[in-house]
Formats: sequence, C-alpha cells, structure tokens
Amino acid sequence: MNKQHKVLIANRGEIAVRIIQACRKLGLDFVCVHTAEDACSGHVSLALELGGEKSLYRISSYHDANELLSVADESGATAVHPGYGFFAEDFRFARRVTERGRPLVFLGPSWRVIRDLGDKINTKRLARSLGVPTVPGSDRPVYDELEAEKIARSLFDFQMQQGIARPLVLVKASAGGGGMGIEEVYDIDMFRQVYRRIRNYAMRQFKDEGVLIEQRIKDFNHLEVQVLSDRSGRHPVHFGTRNCSIQSTGRQKRLEVAPGFDPSSIHYDFDAKALLDEIVMHSLNMARKVGYDSVGTWEWIVTRDGHPFLMEVNTRIQVENGVSAAISRVKGKEVDLIAEQIRTGLGEPLGYTQDDITFHGVGVEYRIIAEDPDNGFAPWVGDIDRFSWEEHDWCRVHTHVPPVSKENPYTIPTEFDPNLALAIIWGKDLAEVSANGLAFLDKLRLEGHDGKGEALKSNVEFLKKKTERILRF
Amino acid sequence: MRDIAEVMEELKAAPYTEREVCAPHTGVLRFSDIEEGARVSGFTGTWKEIPGTHIATITREKNPCKVLAAERGVLQKLYRDLDGSFVEAGTPLGVIRHYLTRQEVVSKLLKESLYAFCAPERAKYYFVPDVDKKVKILGCRTVSIHDGMELFIVSRMKREAPLCYSGPAGIIYDVYFDQTKNVDAGSPLIVVCPPEQQSAVEDVVARVQSEWNEGE
Repeated sequence: MNKQHKVLIANRGEIAVRIIQACRKLGLDFVCVHTAEDACSGHVSLALELGGEKSLYRISSYHDANELLSVADESGATAVHPGYGFFAEDFRFARRVTERGRPLVFLGPSWRVIRDLGDKINTKRLARSLGVPTVPGSDRPVYDELEAEKIARSLFDFQMQQGIARPLVLVKASAGGGGMGIEEVYDIDMFRQVYRRIRNYAMRQFKDEGVLIEQRIKDFNHLEVQVLSDRSGRHPVHFGTRNCSIQSTGRQKRLEVAPGFDPSSIHYDFDAKALLDEIVMHSLNMARKVGYDSVGTWEWIVTRDGHPFLMEVNTRIQVENGVSAAISRVKGKEVDLIAEQIRTGLGEPLGYTQDDITFHGVGVEYRIIAEDPDNGFAPWVGDIDRFSWEEHDWCRVHTHVPPVSKENPYTIPTEFDPNLALAIIWGKDLAEVSANGLAFLDKLRLEGHDGKGEALKSNVEFLKKKTERILRF
Repeated sequence: MRDIAEVMEELKAAPYTEREVCAPHTGVLRFSDIEEGARVSGFTGTWKEIPGTHIATITREKNPCKVLAAERGVLQKLYRDLDGSFVEAGTPLGVIRHYLTRQEVVSKLLKESLYAFCAPERAKYYFVPDVDKKVKILGCRTVSIHDGMELFIVSRMKREAPLCYSGPAGIIYDVYFDQTKNVDAGSPLIVVCPPEQQSAVEDVVARVQSEWNEGE
C-alpha cells in the first residue's frame, strides 16, 4: 500500500477516534475536523496528540462538503473516510470526492454502488429481482397522502388474509435511518394521523417528506451480515452475522451480538444454522451482483418461524463492526475492519479468501449511552465527571469522552447522537461472554450532573438486564 | 412590568454593542477593499433582502461565500493580517461597533417587561404544526396561548418531544428562536402579553419609536 496517502476523517466522536487509530496502524497520515460544539471531544485531543496542530481544523458543520474538501486540499489529504452518518451514504458526495479537479479516494463503496444500494427503495427492487425475500410494502417514497392510505389499506388486507390477528403497518421516514422517524400503526384511522406526523418529522429533520409504508413484522430478530470486498468487487467475503435485536423503544440498537444465533447452546424453532447460511448466501450474491467494493452490512428481519426478509443494505462501516471483528480471525490473526476498509479502499487487494476467515467464540457490544430507559430512552444531557471501567484482555472500549474528573467534566453536546462509548466483550461461548459482560458493567462507573443538579441517567442497568437474554428468540 | 423610563435611561446611557465578525466557514479569506473606521450597514429591507456591507469573501472548494456586516455600525477593527490565508470557521475577522436600533430596544424592553417563556434545555425548538402555520401566515400576535397548551416540539439528538407552555394566558408578542439553531437553556423562546397589558405594551412601542434616536 502506498504509505504516502493522507486520510481526511470527515466525522467525529468515537468513529473518528477509531479511524485515527486505524490510520496509525497502517502507517498513514491523517487530518481531523471538529465543530465548535465538539472542541472537547476525545477525537480532537487524540488528533492533536498523534498528529499535532496541523492535523486538526475547525469547521462550521460536519455537513458542509465545501469546507471538508477545502480542508482536504489545504492539508494535502488524498483520501476521505466518511465514518458513519453524515456523508457516509451520500453517493453525490462520494462522486464529488472522486471526480473533482483534484480527485481524492473515497474510503467507502464507489458512488454507483452507494446509489444502487444505499437507498432502501433501490435495494428492495434489486433484491426482488434476485429472488431475495423483502418485507411487503412500498418500493419508493410516497409523497401523496391518498396513495399512502391506499398502500396501508392493502397491507392491512394482506395481513388479514394471512390470518394475522392484529395486523400492523410501519410508517418510516424514507430519508431516515438509525431507527429515527419510524412508527407503527394498528388501523387505518390511526394511520392518517401517524402518516402526517412522520411526514412533518421527516421534513424537519431530513428536509424530505417522503415516507415508506411497510408491513410491520412483529416478533422478529434483527440480523446483519458483515461483508467486505476490495476494489475489484469480484470476491466479497463475510465476517459472519450479528444479532441486533436488543433495541430501545425507538428501535435503536443498544446491544449487538455476534454470531447472529447460537444453535450450539440455544434451541430455536427453526434450523438456525441453515438460516444464517441462507442470509449470508443472499447477501454475498447481492454484493457480487452489484460489484460491491468496500465494507457493508446487509440487514435482515427473521421471523419466529425462521423466515428471513432483507430490510436494507448499509453501504458504510457500521457502529457495531467491532463485534464482528472480535469473533473473526484472518489466517489466524485478529482483524480490524476499519483498517481493512482503508487498506482495500486505497487499492490493495483483499489478500485472502473466505477459507482464510475463521470464527471463534461470541462477541457482545454494549452501546453505553446517557439516557433514561424508564422514560422512553430520553437522552440525558449534562456534565460527565466520572467515567471508568476495568481493563481486561476480553474487553475493548471505544469512546470519544476524554479523561474526566469533578474539576474537569465533559459536557455532552446536544447536537449529535447520544452514544458515549462502545464496549466490546468477548467470551469463548455464550455463557462466558455473558459473565464477562456483566462483570464489565458491574465495574463501570459513569457519573455526572445536569444543569438542575440531577444525577446522570444511563442505560447500564438496561444492558445488564438484557445480557441475560442475548440470542434467545 | 419594569419602569419603562428607567430601562430607556439605562439603554440611552449604553447604546452601543460591540459585535465580533467571525468567519462563518473554513476556507481562504480575502478582505474586500473596506478599511477600519468605515461605516457598514446590516441587512435591510422589508424582508431583510438587501445584503449588508461586504467585508470579506471566504472561498472553500471554489465556492465563494461573502462575509457581510450583519448590522449597521462602524467597523472598529479589521484583522488585515489574515488576508489571503486559510482560516477556520469561527476565526475573528473584525469588530463592529453597533448603535442599538429601535427594534432592538423594543425587543430588550419586551424581554424585560413581559412574561418570557424560556428554553428548559439546550435544544432546537419548533412550534407545533398548527401554531407554526398560523405564525408564518398571520404573525405571532394572532396566536393566543394558555397554561398547559402543547406549544413546542423540542428536538435534540434527533429525538423529539412535546413541550407545553406554562405561564399566563395571552398572545405571543414576539418570537426569539430560529428553528435551525440550538437555543441555550434559559434563553427566552417567546414573550407573552396578557390581554390586559396589550395597550400598555403598544404605548411602550410607540414611545420607543418616537424617543429612540437611531444614532450612527
């Protein structure tokens, strides 16, 4: 790999920290950006520590492509890593980065792939054309209320015909993601009200009032397949499956487990191994069909009777990539999927095949968040003045929260997602990873106060409770 | 209500504010031919459609962005040494000494004398859709509110929650938030005028219009 490359990290927080570390691992130079609200973030201090003042620029917004690219030019960056969120799945940005006067490498899939797969609707069309099962519902954003109502009616009727006692329809902001802007509806009268609410929400948050309407499948598990391919796009490999079913009430992931099911210790009402093989096969088939050329995640819904439906493809590195890496070995060695994404994105061939990838044990990722699970997971905002945990060889913590104390607290910015840290726990089997996870959470200390002097609220107890139920359907 | 004459005297004693002009973006800076000591104007016109004085241009990715004076005043400082350099967003470029306008004086008086409903936490605020529509089409003073009424949507970290108004019944006399920007905890969102105070408030506004001499 050409070590002369310099990577612009067009993101913030924990993922920016991990990209800096991956660049260091690969011997690459990097440059970071931050906004005024993020001046105290750990990614800022790490960039200064490892790269000096010239490796850090203040910008007005992480959403301003002009500024990001002017920083790239000023700093001499040759590649852009978008992280997740912001521009990660914006094919126009990826195209602009690679086709401008001074082209840069976009460390993600090629813009055509993002265009074809990054959109939930295009993905659904492609999947249907390949015989991959998808959730029944609209295959394009709906802007017209009458049309939306017609689709909802047909989905209610379809479920009634299938003998579903309590049919449900899901209304989603088409431009949304990460579980935001989704509500379920029980009848057509309620549908009108919810449709308008989601449409207004989508307009406010995403400036696009398009809405998707789908059958709401109850009682399901949310599985993912982690895919990686080099720039040839010809030989995608997978890094196993993940189970992301433990979510907040707003359907946002809180705890992820790899692999997706554990038939060796848990009984399922269906052939779990065959199901995992099936979703991996479908995911790789789709990846081959589009010439997928980076890391990506195929997201699946699996019903209690073992039927999989493809939900969407995330054409980026996921928050939870580390839990797949924790159980994977390439030719017997540990793997860092962010470093792999950068390495292959810069043009290196993958250098291994599926036969070289082996899986060991079980991994759990905890998303540690200041929020109130008893109050609809409302985000808690204030100052963190204690954040510590016990170090173990089976545990890795990724965070952008800098070292804090009573005298030097960290104020959580309200402008961004509320994730504070990711803890990745490994065990040789389900029993061991659960025990390790609980031991980690018991020793975790996360304290602080808000403006009214009230104590910090976090999801740690919620995570403890859920640890007892992981991978059970 | 605070004594209006007293507040007016305070404002007359200190009618200036000094406001920093900062780089709105990161990019290459070029000052216009303006000099220190020059008089500048802010956005004017019925809909603030006439731009303020051109102070500098920041070019990022070949896209020039003009830095314009946001208000009328005198350009007290200009950091010429930055000309031609790559500046980061937020870098101070100069200082404008600004004489308070009638509208600003009225706004300050209203904040001090009417009931201000403040942001309970740092977040973005929106009116609920029905109120939003009315405010945009007919103006905020056509909206009557009362204690317990669901009036706002609070948005932070992309999560939204309703917020009820608490305070005296009345009309929304003025709005102080911008839906695209975060409001700090404790900053006023609206001021509310009870029906019985409306004529008194209108008198105050009229008095400011006649008494406040817009200086420089």
